[in-house]
Amino acid sequence: MVPISYSVRNLMVRKATTGATALGIGLVVFVFASVLMLGAGLERAMGRSGSPDVAIVLRAGSDAETSSGIELPAAGLVTASPEVVARRNGRPDAVGEVIGILSLDKVGEAGVSNVQVRGVPEDVYQFRPGVRIVAGRAAAPGSDEVVVGAAIRARFRGTNLGQSFEIKKNRMVRVVGIFEDRGSSFESEVWGDIDTVRSAFGREALVSSVRVRLRSPGHFDAFRRSIESNPQLGLTVKRESVYYEELAQGTTMFLTILGMMIAFFFAAGAMIGAMITMHASVAQRSREIGTLRALGFSRGKILASFLFESVVLSLLGGAVGAAASLAMGLVRFNLVNFATFSEIVFTFVPTPSIVLSSLVFAGLMGLLGGFFPAVRAARMNVLDALRA
Amino acid sequence: MVQLTNVVKTFQRGAEVITVLDGLNVTIAEGSFEALMGPSGSGKSTLLNLVAGLDRATSGVVNVAGQDLTTMTDGDLAAFRARYIGFIFQSYNLMPVLTALENVELPLLLTKIPSADRKKRAATALRVVGLEDRANHYPRMLSGGQEQRVAIARAIVNDPKIIVADEPTGDLDRKSADQILALLEKLNKDFKKTIVMVTHDPEAASHARVTHHLNKGAFQ
Repeated sequence: MVPISYSVRNLMVRKATTGATALGIGLVVFVFASVLMLGAGLERAMGRSGSPDVAIVLRAGSDAETSSGIELPAAGLVTASPEVVARRNGRPDAVGEVIGILSLDKVGEAGVSNVQVRGVPEDVYQFRPGVRIVAGRAAAPGSDEVVVGAAIRARFRGTNLGQSFEIKKNRMVRVVGIFEDRGSSFESEVWGDIDTVRSAFGREALVSSVRVRLRSPGHFDAFRRSIESNPQLGLTVKRESVYYEELAQGTTMFLTILGMMIAFFFAAGAMIGAMITMHASVAQRSREIGTLRALGFSRGKILASFLFESVVLSLLGGAVGAAASLAMGLVRFNLVNFATFSEIVFTFVPTPSIVLSSLVFAGLMGLLGGFFPAVRAARMNVLDALRA
Repeated sequence: MVQLTNVVKTFQRGAEVITVLDGLNVTIAEGSFEALMGPSGSGKSTLLNLVAGLDRATSGVVNVAGQDLTTMTDGDLAAFRARYIGFIFQSYNLMPVLTALENVELPLLLTKIPSADRKKRAATALRVVGLEDRANHYPRMLSGGQEQRVAIARAIVNDPKIIVADEPTGDLDRKSADQILALLEKLNKDFKKTIVMVTHDPEAASHARVTHHLNKGAFQ
């Protein structure tokens, strides 16, 4: 085999060309990795919102809580199912909530955006033990107090601790606490007393959804059968994790397709860059190639050597791009979820598999970009190459 | 060692067929040192390339070290060159990014010799040409004569039967040229290498035991 040091040192001696080409590839890998991190961030925000042992009940035909409504007697029947865990006080471990969408003015930029408001019963923290009040206190039951998710704190007018905003015309609510939930999409919501939200959004005698904790994830099928087979209820049951996956699907797909298209066009450009660099390198080194062939190195060995060089060049750029993309982990990103039309805030999430796939992507670009120049090098006539 | 029988080599240039070697017969004995001289276009480099397995005859038989080169595939020819031929070029043709030792080691990478032994053999070859103290120098740090000596070390490192030299002193001053020629003579006499050398320089040819004069594709 042609020594590895030959390929690597040839890259080192052409510092400027190598640097420029690697930078181009690095940029593509940066975009590629960032898109994947964005997808992972969105998935985490949505995925963390769902527990495997929790089922969500909606009106049949509703895709989201925002478009669902369940009458209170029906909600009572749902929570009384034998598959639902009973708390120590004998009451079912379940929660019925009301959802409303509110348009709030953004802080620091013009325009309004939708924010999801969740009317929650007093025992919501018992049902969602991962939720922590990180500033202030929980809202008092039956009051005009609300708590705001950490992701949207102070991003809208009146949503910081101690401030007030209108939940309905001339109906003010006051922010008394800020909560966190491991980066889940709940952190992009406002939580208020269920009756306050109900009256503000005109949803008396209704809940938007009912969530129940099942005795085990395995009890889901039995629970679903018993609810969905009752035609008088007209309800549909989903696993909470599946519900959030479906909610995120449209947005994730849009982001991924858009990002991948950008990455694809960038990649085409970077690959052409790598190809030009390698073509120039082959042309410059014709006599060296001729000499190696004269010494007995086969066409296959020459091909492998130039392909290797191109892959090393791309991996160099890929490593820089992937490292730079890790810095995106510090950036928060907000966008409108297509399923709920409300804003969701999340971060870029770097994972080892994303770093690995970015490097594989870079290597692939090197392999494809370097292929034709390497074939050209391998196919050179020995005597023509020696005379060059 | 080298036997060419009725060798014809033609080139196509547009519609015209140019005959470079015209029914050439030559025998070079093992252990000989032979020079090929002649004006430009006489076919001396073409003849050398045929002997070295870099080019194919249009017709006739080229037999080198008991191998019939005319029937060999491209891959077979590469393997033949690696095993039987040592090359010395006019412009040395060293890899600029490799050190003297690494350049000399190159042909050994095509063998199954372990790395440590390869290094030892490359160092020995450098000692033969008197450059053991330049092992870690890159070609740009060496003079023309030194570069050609490294190239000679590369040519002998895998102990080939035949050394082909194409104008080995063409780029060198007289003093360096004499050193190179003395080295070739030493390889021929002490190491029994068969050497075929193309040269323009009568002084260089005088170091060979036999000189062939070619003109228009035939011996004079």
